[in-house]
Amino acid sequence: MKPTRAVEANCDARDISASHSPVTGTSDAELIAAVLAGDIEAFSGLVRRYQDTCTRFAVRMLGSRVDADDALQSAFMRAFRGLRSCKDPNRFGGWLYQIVINECRTYATRQRRRELRFPPAAEAIERAVAPGSEPEADRDVGGHIERALSMLPTEQREAFLLKHVEEMSYDEMAEMTGVSVPALKMRVKRACDGLRDLLEGVFHG
Amino acid sequence: MGDIYDDKAQVQDAAFAERVAASLRAPEHAHPSFEKRLMEKVLVEGRVLYKTAASTPNNSWWRTEWIIRISPRGGVAIAAGIAAVVALSSIAVGSRISARAPQAAISAQAAPARDTVQVVRFVFVDSGASSVALVGDFNEWTRGSTQLKRSGAPGVWTVSVPLTPGRHEYAFIVDGSRWVADPLAVKSSDDFGTESSVIRIGSAGKSET
Repeated sequence: MKPTRAVEANCDARDISASHSPVTGTSDAELIAAVLAGDIEAFSGLVRRYQDTCTRFAVRMLGSRVDADDALQSAFMRAFRGLRSCKDPNRFGGWLYQIVINECRTYATRQRRRELRFPPAAEAIERAVAPGSEPEADRDVGGHIERALSMLPTEQREAFLLKHVEEMSYDEMAEMTGVSVPALKMRVKRACDGLRDLLEGVFHG
Repeated sequence: MGDIYDDKAQVQDAAFAERVAASLRAPEHAHPSFEKRLMEKVLVEGRVLYKTAASTPNNSWWRTEWIIRISPRGGVAIAAGIAAVVALSSIAVGSRISARAPQAAISAQAAPARDTVQVVRFVFVDSGASSVALVGDFNEWTRGSTQLKRSGAPGVWTVSVPLTPGRHEYAFIVDGSRWVADPLAVKSSDDFGTESSVIRIGSAGKSET
């Protein structure tokens, strides 16, 4: 494990399959065993099972469907290449989630570099034309929230999303991110403070 | 944390956060082509990564003769007792191994990047080491998933890893805890100053460190 950046994917991490899985029947462990035995197409079962759950986090984290798609393609490929290192295949979901979190951090860094060179307008255009985009009127408060979220530092945005959107406990977050519980609490607090400032006037009362 | 962020503050923040998070919890769906695009890549790489020896006894990459290109810096690395990426071979996925050609031929390969992986041999030299592991983005920085083995020469540890074209970061972990970046390779530091090494695998079979 690279101690200060990449978190070792740990299959003992939170199992997200139980509450999010739209695919029933074959277990994660059975699908993984099939892949390792040479049935490569069995991996598609894992993709279908987790792609939407991971998409929500990635889209919120990166604020861009295009970047989220890229990050998740990369994350799923990393998971595929590292299937043998998933020590508890029954908890594949948590292990995958760790990889997704790491990949989103990498893409968030790329975004910061990109934004130094290109005006934010490009991102606004991308959002406007992305599939599922809503009319501006319907996006009023939601749009403000997304923009405010995107203005937070990456680590605060990540902590806020894991805590309040993915609704993880601090212990689960610590296991996922490799960051201590006190540090995570501080990040969430700072995220809330930042959002409160940024959203002043959006929420009345 | 309690003195910094007490229970009352947490409750207040939780109420505010709930208002913010409610809209963010709306489900999102992957792009309709997500699975198809991913599985195209998975099927190509999977033929190499998870091909069983029993089903394909004559076509497994680890059993294949492949051409090793020794970096000119390899000798320096050995003399200095340090780590280096020193070798490269190339195989075309899903077909008979085609890396028997010499270096120039490898460089001239026209296979699309996504159809090719490069087998890179990592060499680490340390006569005092009792174990050496390789970590990198290709194994999710998982300690212990890629162990180097002693070669014939004293103190020389090696492992061969299939890498996809592109930029990869890596480092060695000696004796289970000592982090060592390759001093002869391009360095990359993360936000916290931890140094790693960089290897770039070209789609035409070239490696750069």
